[in-house]
Amino acid sequence: MASDADTSGIGRQAAEMTDSPMFRLRAWLRQTDFFSHVLLALVTFIVLLPLLWIIATSFKDRLEFSTNSAALIPSSFSLVNYQYMFEAIQLLPIYMRNSFILAGGVTLIQVLCSALAGYAFARMRFWGRDFIFIAIIVSMFVPRAGGLMALYELMSFLKLRNSLFGLILLFAAGLPAAIFIMRQAFLSIPQEVEESAFIDGASWWHTFWYIALPLASSAMVIIGTLAFVGVWSDYIITYTMIDRDAQLTISVGIKKVLATSYESALSPRFRNQFAGEAADATMLLFSALPVIIIYALMQKWFMRGLTEGAIKF
Amino acid sequence: MTAQSESGGGGLFGAIRSYRQSRDRQAAVRKSNLLGYLFIAPAMALYLTFNVWPIFRGFAMAFTDYRFVYPDTRWDFNGFGNFVKMVGDRRAMDAAGISLKYLVFVAPAMILIALFLAVLISKVKRGAAFYRWVVYLPAVLPVAVIFLMFGEMYGFQFGFINTVLRDWGIENPPNWLGDRELALPSIGAAHIWMIFGFPTLLFLIGIYNIGSEMYEAASLDGANGWQQFRFLTAPLLKPTFALIVVLNLPLFGVVEPMLILNNGGPANSTRTLGLYLYQQAFEVGDLRLGYAAAISLVIGVISALIAGLIFRWSRQ
Repeated sequence: MASDADTSGIGRQAAEMTDSPMFRLRAWLRQTDFFSHVLLALVTFIVLLPLLWIIATSFKDRLEFSTNSAALIPSSFSLVNYQYMFEAIQLLPIYMRNSFILAGGVTLIQVLCSALAGYAFARMRFWGRDFIFIAIIVSMFVPRAGGLMALYELMSFLKLRNSLFGLILLFAAGLPAAIFIMRQAFLSIPQEVEESAFIDGASWWHTFWYIALPLASSAMVIIGTLAFVGVWSDYIITYTMIDRDAQLTISVGIKKVLATSYESALSPRFRNQFAGEAADATMLLFSALPVIIIYALMQKWFMRGLTEGAIKF
Repeated sequence: MTAQSESGGGGLFGAIRSYRQSRDRQAAVRKSNLLGYLFIAPAMALYLTFNVWPIFRGFAMAFTDYRFVYPDTRWDFNGFGNFVKMVGDRRAMDAAGISLKYLVFVAPAMILIALFLAVLISKVKRGAAFYRWVVYLPAVLPVAVIFLMFGEMYGFQFGFINTVLRDWGIENPPNWLGDRELALPSIGAAHIWMIFGFPTLLFLIGIYNIGSEMYEAASLDGANGWQQFRFLTAPLLKPTFALIVVLNLPLFGVVEPMLILNNGGPANSTRTLGLYLYQQAFEVGDLRLGYAAAISLVIGVISALIAGLIFRWSRQ
């Protein structure tokens, strides 16, 4: 730690020691955390390696891939995989659209519902309020044994299987953490502002919508971001509830359109121009692109959402 | 509006009025309010329907011989029949063994990696935000993309790993996902890549919470890096450690990687208990939701028991 740098200036001997180049080098290494950075750079590389390889592979044509498949920087760039993806895969835009509808719908409903409920739990007093709130939080930790089976039955009973709308409701119902965060956010707002609004004769709804909600907007951004990314990435629930192509999302449908399992349907135009694996890499990258972009843009909110949730529990 | 117009006036009545007013104002915020139910109604409706109901229904289902194809069997209670059947079911027992192997392989490795990375990241003064970003990146990617991507990485002929191994002069690199011995660890490694980010952040929060004063005091007392870790970081991270273990117990019911990659193959060597119950529920003939719910309940009870033990340990 910083102790080595601090011991300088105690006496002449120490001064001589600190003057030696070796000591300075060591001090510099410590001060800049050189070794930690080297190790972390290595870790960063390992973590990013699969993604880098996928990105590189998406620019390789058949020849390049078969001769140079491990290269992280292709010796020749080709867009044939992207051409194939956009021209030959008819289902891709449908899946993409469904994913946006699903994730967008869930985000909207979840932000609205959790804001309403969080406000009620933070500000309004009604019989059983604290009991209901605690019950919601506790129920989060009850294991959902047989939950998927029960959901399957429920969704069939409600005629909501193979329906994007049903899936939106199903995902939007995962509310406890969002309600918790919203309640926390409203509690941290000073009450005086709302009280003065009441004096001016504002209704509950008016106070909530025009005064409290804007002040809690950062919590809403956190909830919305986590909801969008979480729903976009889901596999098993969507896979279980949807078995028609017209309603499938990209995160599940991607498996169906991969060229390695799609060889027979290749359009003649692209035959022999690209490698199946390289085309797959392109589509995998493309299907994850929205969450990668959101994650890059929303980095601050992500970290806040995760740490807030973790610390407060 | 009326409140505002009345706020004038002086003397005793004015004082009483303003006192009442402030009380009313507080009452408006604090007193019983039926509107509260209206505000929580949408959230509660969704939550009760899609989250609370399945808890009870799933539990009840575990004690029935419910086959989805025959709706009449919905409430065919058979007591502990499903559990008895499960004990006698060779495939279920094999699958449980595979699940256990998976848990024992993935969880400790992942937690050690996370702890190591958290300590490393806590040491650097600059760039920590970037490393935190990188570490959590895999966790936001769609699970299907991750495992299909690793499927390509593990590819026998043109996969990244085998190409590199051949370049290094290894003549016959293994067929990672096609080998009965290697398939499970290979999937597990990809799984570690996917989920190590969140535990790392949790450990990191724990270390940040310990505070730099403690470390300064320790280093003044002459504790070196390892001693600081051994006697300061590790004991204080015990609750975090317990939380992480508990959060990762669902690994015992793992199903998604296998469902996405190889459906339990090769030769059922990666058919975990989670995958087995999924197949029983949604893929085999008459969709045995009842039996699957029973297996799921067993997984849940075992996980809860382990979680309880770990929490007791972390309190000591």
